[in-house]
Amino acid sequence: MQPPLPTTKLPAIQLDAVELTLSSAAGPVNILKGVSLIVPTGQTVALTGPSGSGKSSLLMVAAGLERPSGGRIQVAGTDITNMGEDAAARFRRGRVGIVFQSFHLIPTMTALENVAVPLELNGVDDAWERARAELKAVGLGDRVEHYPGQLSGGEQQRVALARALGPRPQILFADEPTGNLDSSNGQAIADLLFGLNAERGATLFLVTHEDSLARRCQRVVRLESGRIVNDDMAAAAMAPA
Amino acid sequence: MSNLPLAWKMARRELRGGLKGFRIFFLCLLLGTAAIAAVESLSDAFLTSLRDSGQTFLGGDVSVQLVHRPAAPAEERFLQSYGRTAHTVSLQSMVYALREGRQAERELVEVKAVDGAWPLFGAPGFTPAQNLRDILHCEDDGICGAAAEQTLLDRLHARRGDLIRLGNATLRIIAVLESEPDRISTGFSLGPHILISTKALSGTALEQPGSLINYNYKVAFSPTAEKQGATIESFRADAAKSFPDANWQIRDRSDAAPGIRRFVEQVSMFLTLVGLTALGVGGVGASESVSAFLDRKRFDIAILKSLGADGRLVFLTFFLQVMTIASVALVIGAVLGASAPFLLARFYGDALPLPPALGFYPRPLLLAAGFGLLSAIAFSVPPLGRAREIPPASLLRETVSPNRGRLQPVYLLASAAAALGITGLMLALSPSPLYAGEFLGGAIVLLGLLRLVASALTWGLRRLPRPRSPLARLAMGDLTRPGAATKGVVTALGLGLTLLATITLLDRTMAAEVNESLPSRAPSFFFVDIQPDETAAFDRTIAAFKSGTDYKRTPMIRGRITSVNGVPSAQVKVDPDVKWALSGDRGITYAATPPPGTVLTSGAWWPADYQGETLISLDQEVAKGLGMKLGDRMSLNVLGRQIDGRIASLRKVDFRNGGQNFILVLSPGLIDKAPHSFLATIRVAPKDENAMYMAVTEKFPNISTVRVKDAIAQVNTLLQQLAQGIRAASLVTILAGLLVLAGTIAAGARTRLYDATVLKVVGATRLQIALVYVLEYGLLGIATGVIALGAGTLAASLIARQILDTSFVFDARAALWTVVGGGAATLLFGLFGAIAALNARPARRLRND
Repeated sequence: MQPPLPTTKLPAIQLDAVELTLSSAAGPVNILKGVSLIVPTGQTVALTGPSGSGKSSLLMVAAGLERPSGGRIQVAGTDITNMGEDAAARFRRGRVGIVFQSFHLIPTMTALENVAVPLELNGVDDAWERARAELKAVGLGDRVEHYPGQLSGGEQQRVALARALGPRPQILFADEPTGNLDSSNGQAIADLLFGLNAERGATLFLVTHEDSLARRCQRVVRLESGRIVNDDMAAAAMAPA
Repeated sequence: MSNLPLAWKMARRELRGGLKGFRIFFLCLLLGTAAIAAVESLSDAFLTSLRDSGQTFLGGDVSVQLVHRPAAPAEERFLQSYGRTAHTVSLQSMVYALREGRQAERELVEVKAVDGAWPLFGAPGFTPAQNLRDILHCEDDGICGAAAEQTLLDRLHARRGDLIRLGNATLRIIAVLESEPDRISTGFSLGPHILISTKALSGTALEQPGSLINYNYKVAFSPTAEKQGATIESFRADAAKSFPDANWQIRDRSDAAPGIRRFVEQVSMFLTLVGLTALGVGGVGASESVSAFLDRKRFDIAILKSLGADGRLVFLTFFLQVMTIASVALVIGAVLGASAPFLLARFYGDALPLPPALGFYPRPLLLAAGFGLLSAIAFSVPPLGRAREIPPASLLRETVSPNRGRLQPVYLLASAAAALGITGLMLALSPSPLYAGEFLGGAIVLLGLLRLVASALTWGLRRLPRPRSPLARLAMGDLTRPGAATKGVVTALGLGLTLLATITLLDRTMAAEVNESLPSRAPSFFFVDIQPDETAAFDRTIAAFKSGTDYKRTPMIRGRITSVNGVPSAQVKVDPDVKWALSGDRGITYAATPPPGTVLTSGAWWPADYQGETLISLDQEVAKGLGMKLGDRMSLNVLGRQIDGRIASLRKVDFRNGGQNFILVLSPGLIDKAPHSFLATIRVAPKDENAMYMAVTEKFPNISTVRVKDAIAQVNTLLQQLAQGIRAASLVTILAGLLVLAGTIAAGARTRLYDATVLKVVGATRLQIALVYVLEYGLLGIATGVIALGAGTLAASLIARQILDTSFVFDARAALWTVVGGGAATLLFGLFGAIAALNARPARRLRND
């Protein structure tokens, strides 16, 4: 089990001049061009911008899923900039939860098993009981033995949310969590996301192109062509500290 | 068929993708076709060589062999009337190295004495290269020259120029015998060869009445005789008409070495069956490969259908694509197979007893391509048939387990017809259809069984309690999910491993029989050609050894069964299992009282003082095979004389004891008047073996002393070579199985990559993910190995008991190797295939989603 994070008021996420360049057949593509951003602990941040602006890539590097080409990344006080793949995976356990647009559940595992996996990897003794409780919390207490293929898109995203929140992460990353859902399902997921997050006090880093969703965050950061073009702190200022 | 041009147009577009998605299909077909083409090309090359060089291998256009006696002058004149003749005499005897006039090392040899006309075709090879006449020349002091194989010189510790003793004659080794043009037609021999002149043979005094000696006469038809219409057929008819009682065995150039021919035919049949098994194994892979390809094409097919393409067009399009790719594989496979004789001659030419006739043989290539094409149809039509049923609505939904559609019976029938075509073709072309049928039937039953076991395994795993460990759970999920590798690998790799396990266990069983069981039952020595006037002295010599037991000395003479109940042998309907009883000379003995150990199964033994017509006690299995019963009549030809007898009793002869086993025992009265020698066998304590060998060979140089352990060693070497060859061939099926495994790994690559990515996201390290694969493929490999071992043990024990008539020996070490080998191969392949998933950066996969 991971040691608890220090309770000092360190920023949850700190990006300093982060760059990301990927190679392609047509030559290198500069995706992030010196992005700097500090997200205080407990803040809810929406990252918006047009398609191809680098939103998801910024989420990937911040979550340790992609190593940046330049700059520095600190998450929960730990420098993950040059972390190897396995070290980054170990770091994520219990600290970071991620929800994707495409759910990304393991099809051969039941909802319960899917939710239990990160808890088990983190060495939680009562992983299954916790997983069961998480599923109940997202309204799927009666679907625990269902496989992803037997669940609707909305239900699959709830499982994904339960899986991300199960280990009680300090930071929750969500990449277009309602992008594949109809409006009512999307609304329900958004309610759960913000509700549970508020209840547990985690930092939320949300990638979305939906204004309605972005408006529910304390802070809205707009990215265009790999650069931050607007950082609207007004929402944050209005939000309780 | 109006769809055909359009289908071909669309298939051509699909073919732009090349082999993408078809690599395993392509390789499986190529491997099976190449294996069959190689085996059949080699077989044709060897058989052509036998046919084309028939005159040389036989030593003439015809060869006439007599046992015990040389041809009578009238018979010789008959042979000479057809052309030039050469005369050779073959026998086994002891040869002694001479040191300072005393007999030193000794060895059993195969003596070949030749006259001045031999060989009529080809030339023998000597080191140093020398003229045959000069080598075999007899000096004024009566010492004649000889050429011996290097093996004999090594065993006698002799060199060229040294003197040796053969019977009563002293000979000088002039040269090393490297080759004889007609050696291949003489078949198996117990000792090394020595070549001498017939003049030298007469000085040995080994030609005694009743001695086991073969007299051969080779005839090269003269142009005059041929002009007068002399042919092999006319020669045979003339010989049978002019000398009906000659009891000679006539062979001709068209079948110079029937033993070798049968061996080549049988081995090539077996290897072709192994090749077909590889095609069957590969077929499983081909089928999975086509299914996987069509699953990926689901949306394309649905789009085509939504645009107006009917199911028939869809089927034809992909059928044409698959068959075009198959054709390329078949052509490449055939070309590779065609090169096998050239490669064999290039790299192992010197080791081959028979040089292959190098050339291009279309028959094997057409055959292999035919088998390949039929197998491609049999295995690809069902998935193609399912693809035509994909509804356009598939565009709207995607499931974890795509519904592959229902198969119309016509496709199932087409597939079954192709499978029947393969079976029919094999049976029609096989020299032993029954055996081929049993093999194919066994393979099909086994394939079905393995499929069943694989389904049961998947079913069982699904019902096991879910492991608590997420990694174990993932491994279990991987083994049981739709499209998992389990069924394909257990079936395909399992079939190859089963074949390997069967061969390995049979090899061990045979080795145990030859090295353990046989020596415990068989005598220590065979003594052949004991002359009647030396029996008393021989008995005394043997009696001096107190550890000697089971001593048997039996009169023996060679003779042939010429008719059964008045029907000439050639026309008798005979069970193939006992055909050998009529095919040549057999050892015959006589006895007034039942020899020790006789087990009569019916009838009665004749009275000890019986003096009437000849009565026969016959082996019950031979009697059954010939359709004979008590009271039936049989005619034998012994030394040119007809002996007619009546079956008085049937006996059980245990050929497995390795001792004296005569199928024919006659009552005395007539047969005992014919000149004959004696055969003796004895078991002796190992410590006395050498002393007995030295005592007998010292006192009786004319008696051939066969040490059974030497013969067993020789048989053992042959068995091992055969087993190694067969095991190597069975690796082709393992390779096909591994290709199938590679195919399923490739087909599951996307899923594996996805799972690995998700696991990494939630905090799993690469080592943990690698453990999933170790668990998954380790379990799969061990399960496949265990199943193959079970099936292999069953098959081997059935073959051992039913066909080889021996007790089955389970070799735990060989068994363990099968399981470990299967597990290791699966694990290594699995891990190798999973490297990509382990190394993939999660962000790349997520970004592409």
